[in-house]
Amino acid sequence: MKKVLCRLFPALLLAALPAASFAAEISVDSTTILRFQEDRTGFESKTLVPATQFLGLDIYKLGDGNLSAHLFGWGRVDLADRHETVDNSDGRLDGSLTYGYLQYRFNNANARARAGRFFVTEGIINEQVDGVSARTDLPYGFGVSAFGGATVHTVDLPGLGTDGKGDGIFGGRVNYRSKGMLEIGLSGVYESEAPTIVGGSNLPGSFGDHRMLGADLWFSPHHMVQVTGRTNYNTETSSVAEHRYLLQVTPRKDLVLTASFDEQHDRDYFYSSILFARMLKNLSQDSRAIGGSATYTVAKNAELSADYKHYNRDVGSADRFGGELRGTLLDNSVRSGFGYHYLRANPEFAITGASTSGSYHEVRGYVMRDTKSYFAAGDLIAYIFNEPVFNKDSAWEAIGSVGYHLSPALALSGDLSYGQNPQYDDELRGLVRLTYNMNMTTGKGGTK
Amino acid sequence: MRRSTKILSLLALAGMLAITACAQMKALPNLPASHPEQLSHGPVSCTECHEDQQSGSMKPYAAFNHTQNFVKNHRFYAATDDVLCASCHKVSFCADCHSNKTDMKPSVKNGNRPDRMMPHRGDFLTLHKIEGKLDPASCYSCHGRANNQQCVACH
Repeated sequence: MKKVLCRLFPALLLAALPAASFAAEISVDSTTILRFQEDRTGFESKTLVPATQFLGLDIYKLGDGNLSAHLFGWGRVDLADRHETVDNSDGRLDGSLTYGYLQYRFNNANARARAGRFFVTEGIINEQVDGVSARTDLPYGFGVSAFGGATVHTVDLPGLGTDGKGDGIFGGRVNYRSKGMLEIGLSGVYESEAPTIVGGSNLPGSFGDHRMLGADLWFSPHHMVQVTGRTNYNTETSSVAEHRYLLQVTPRKDLVLTASFDEQHDRDYFYSSILFARMLKNLSQDSRAIGGSATYTVAKNAELSADYKHYNRDVGSADRFGGELRGTLLDNSVRSGFGYHYLRANPEFAITGASTSGSYHEVRGYVMRDTKSYFAAGDLIAYIFNEPVFNKDSAWEAIGSVGYHLSPALALSGDLSYGQNPQYDDELRGLVRLTYNMNMTTGKGGTK
Repeated sequence: MRRSTKILSLLALAGMLAITACAQMKALPNLPASHPEQLSHGPVSCTECHEDQQSGSMKPYAAFNHTQNFVKNHRFYAATDDVLCASCHKVSFCADCHSNKTDMKPSVKNGNRPDRMMPHRGDFLTLHKIEGKLDPASCYSCHGRANNQQCVACH
């Protein structure tokens, strides 16, 4: 069934492409990147020269005008040494279809139907699916969405022969909106039975089926106040997996204050991930983070923010605080930013065998200029460790990028990055990028 | 009342409700498929032009101003208002970061756009050994079930 679906949907898309010649609107986004870098992670140093093609295609106004086709994916070929792979596949070639679907957009109620490969982000649901989905608003503020199909499998974990996912998946969300004040949603996802792990006796009670229910909330009792958030419940472990809530207060148009509360119960939250079940030795832990931030729009073209977050886990606690200034000049053609953050962490978070402290400073500054003819950017980021990591006091990277708009749709650019870090005394990388963004649209606005 | 009569009555009621709902749904407006006016480059502020409430999402336009705070917490809005997001953004804009399998860090692909907030800038290979212990849930939301080669190679 899965194989049939995987072949059927790309075939549907291909079948739709001839109709594109009659379509009123076509959009192509292509990025070709040729990288030059040295890979020194293995026993032998490798020279990697991968060429990667990202391609996005959107064809609107097919059929009666409400049908559209959307596709995005990438492919890579190694022009020098091969990439290492974990599944013993040929590392010289790789690629992925991120999404490819047909969409029918109805004339009312924001109703739409999709068929193909797509992402579902509805309430607590965040899935990539080969299947069908539909959503619509309903009278009196209600709304409903549903999806179903085949799971998009990923690479098998070494030695296990499976990616830990079931083969089928379905779910949906119902919601209610009260004008300008409230939205509540109930959503759920049900994946068919997870594969049995051969030799998985070390995973009892820590890995199983992917089945969740949840509620999400947007509440604004006053125009200056809004609360957003969600709670996930794992039906397999019969426990709450996650709370994630954000309070936002806007006392003035130019000032936004926030307070956040995040809590995850590791076993219940990570239950359907075989990667995490194997990686985390103690799944009985909880994670809790409480934070706050203030963002002040100093002027129309400058924004200053400060933030603080306190992390609490069973093994220890940490605090992160800092700020950032972002600004634009010359009608947004110059953009720049500077930020500083400090993570004060208990020694329990230090890198095992490399350092005695998990604390570090983060400093970043960037500036970019984008004109009708050329564009350029400089970016510097540094992590300064409280205690040396593998005898290195810091890790830093500087990136310079220059490019030229060959035409309004076509641009050629190149990046050069140099850095030093605990892994490498020096790390030099380069890339050449060709981007082509073409919109044959009849509308004045469009999407980006 | 006979069982078949009850069933027929229920079906008739359901049919009437469905017809009424369909008639009412025709009165529900669509959000525009694309923003009717060309937007400037960089983060936008909806309230520069709009003052009232967004009719499709039934939320104030101010809630969608692309402040730093909005960008950092966009997950909440994407999970409930992706139809509104689609008025200005193609799905490929989201896929710059959100794709189960990718070939390079988003910040490498978009090295010419340092103004965009993107994860794992700089030497995150070192940093993840601290951040992963500190807040594993932050890794899980993207990498939890994706089994990315970079994760699986060591873990």
